[in-house]
Amino acid sequence: MFELIINILLFIFLGFTFFTHVLEAAVPASVTRNPYALQPDVWPKTIIILLEICLIINIVKIIRKNKGNPEFSISAFVRSIPGFLKSRLFLGIVIMVVASLILETVGFIVTALFVLFCYGMLLGEKNPVRLAIASVCITLVLYIIFSGLLSVNLPRGTIGFLRNFALFLESVVAGVKGIFG
Amino acid sequence: MSMGQLLASGFAAVFNPGMFFMVCIAIVLGTIFGALPGVSATMAVALGLTFTYTMDPIPAIVFLTAIYCSSITGGSITAILFKIPGVPSSAPTTFDGYPMAQRGEAGKALGVALLASAIGGLFSAVAMFALSQPLTKAALQFGPSDLFSVTFLGLSILTCLDSEHILTCIISGLLGLLLACVGQDKMYAVQRLTFGSRNLLAGIDMIPVLIGLFAVTEVFKQTDPKKKRLSAEDGITGGRVNTKMPSLKEIWSIKWTMLRCSVVGTVVGILPGAGATIASFMCYTMETKLSKYPEKFGTGIIDGIAASEASNNAATGGAMVPLLSLGIPGGNAAAVMMSALTLKGVQLGPLLLTNQPEYLSATFMSMIVTNILMVIVAMAIAKVFAQILAIPYSYLGPIILMLALIGTYGDQMSATSVQIMVLAGVLGLIVRACHLNSAAIVLGLVLGNMCEQNFSRGYLMSKGSILTMFNPMLHPIAFVLIIVCIVMLVSPIVMPLIKKARAGKQ
Repeated sequence: MFELIINILLFIFLGFTFFTHVLEAAVPASVTRNPYALQPDVWPKTIIILLEICLIINIVKIIRKNKGNPEFSISAFVRSIPGFLKSRLFLGIVIMVVASLILETVGFIVTALFVLFCYGMLLGEKNPVRLAIASVCITLVLYIIFSGLLSVNLPRGTIGFLRNFALFLESVVAGVKGIFG
Repeated sequence: MSMGQLLASGFAAVFNPGMFFMVCIAIVLGTIFGALPGVSATMAVALGLTFTYTMDPIPAIVFLTAIYCSSITGGSITAILFKIPGVPSSAPTTFDGYPMAQRGEAGKALGVALLASAIGGLFSAVAMFALSQPLTKAALQFGPSDLFSVTFLGLSILTCLDSEHILTCIISGLLGLLLACVGQDKMYAVQRLTFGSRNLLAGIDMIPVLIGLFAVTEVFKQTDPKKKRLSAEDGITGGRVNTKMPSLKEIWSIKWTMLRCSVVGTVVGILPGAGATIASFMCYTMETKLSKYPEKFGTGIIDGIAASEASNNAATGGAMVPLLSLGIPGGNAAAVMMSALTLKGVQLGPLLLTNQPEYLSATFMSMIVTNILMVIVAMAIAKVFAQILAIPYSYLGPIILMLALIGTYGDQMSATSVQIMVLAGVLGLIVRACHLNSAAIVLGLVLGNMCEQNFSRGYLMSKGSILTMFNPMLHPIAFVLIIVCIVMLVSPIVMPLIKKARAGKQ
């Protein structure tokens, strides 16, 4: 049922997109006046039309394949939702969504500590103290390697003391790098 | 300068003790950079620039070439061990490399990847040295309709990625092509499919989607307590890669695959705008079609790894051809090298090889040495990387997520990229549940822009006539390639129907 719902939702979404969001700005007059120019909406619209055709065929196939299957019903799908919301998979997704949203505000260091600890617990780590210590060590190692040594600009955060801590860490790494030439 | 003198000058450039040591350093750095997720070959070359500030132009290009070649090879290490392509061109390596690692054949997969990389790299180095000028002239004859056909050839893999779900593979490929349309249209800068988001104006970058679909989805799946997790028995025992290497018989069985992909990879590398990523996808497609057992591709066979790795390394030599002969970079990494040489006052252009042929010979010798030495270096680095797999998954899983996050953020310096990566991770779960195909989505996304741009240009130049675009008299290459594409696309759909009809008659 999930597969069917996704296919139907995709079909509706693409239909909506076709009529409203393929072009979101005016096409330059020089392009519209040129009879030989491929207009900017032609390529995406062609893809959407092909997709809609394929989705219709796929929807029919899914319905035919599941004919007579008692599990293939809206009620069975609705019954499965609470189970999914309590699952580790859902919690894992939530952790990563939160991490991606807080990254620029709290910076890389706090985000890494959050992901390493929470996801580690979710994956079944029994010893939270050991995991917490490991999270701190891994965060520092990753920050020093990527930000300090490889000059990858990792977010320092916009909160004052977190930003200052990140800058302090970077200055320490730069100092050590300076000593070794 | 005669061929012998050229070779001697290249030999002298690389084999003086100081330079040889620097080449060894470059190989180690390049392989590590390439293996780190999100540090692309271009970024690896850019990171290597800092080492070349005090060098003369010839040692600088020798050093950067070594980093470039080894970074493409390094990308296969994490692709095979963690399903995280270190560089985008290693994405097809995950299709067969990761299943092999899970089966306990990580050593064999790495062995094939490194050997195929070396053969592809060596082939393209020789091709570059011998045919630099004629190859460039030939590549410059490729018009937009020819380039469109080349790209479309890469897309024709869609119908054979999963023979049991052809329709869903096509849907996935089309979704990838549609994702590639998001942002400003590359021809006329018209805003499309952004839904009002400024963050999407620049389009959807390939790296977050790639890392999300392959790596993040895999870690999400591991949260299922019933699922068997990666462990020591998955080819990595006590932090050591199972080093059982491929047998000579196995290597001999893929000789034609490696040769074909080396040739095609070199040619694609020369084409402006195309590069290692397109080469690897295209050759993977080609080998799937040419194979006697196409259904085994994606399940963990050495042919798939050899196709991807031979071609992406061959593209490195190809990319150097127009750079040295015409001063046109074949790809992004070549563009970084070009800027390094320009900074040093080297006048790039058609006269470079006539006036200073030692640039060609030094690059050639650097590629030869790099491609031989990197087999040993990369295997050693692979063993170090595999130590990580001895760590319990409750530690390893979050580390993979953080590497994915760094790789994604580091590419564009944007939290939006990280959000796209997480969304792609969730999309990967939906894709699996709906029998769609992640590889097809990535294929569409990678080839989408090039496909549309070249079609658009070809259409404009043919005065709005598709028939003129593929006219065999005007564009014979485009005509032949498009016929091959149609046959390749349609055959997996039509052949079973023909077989069915024949069986019915009998």
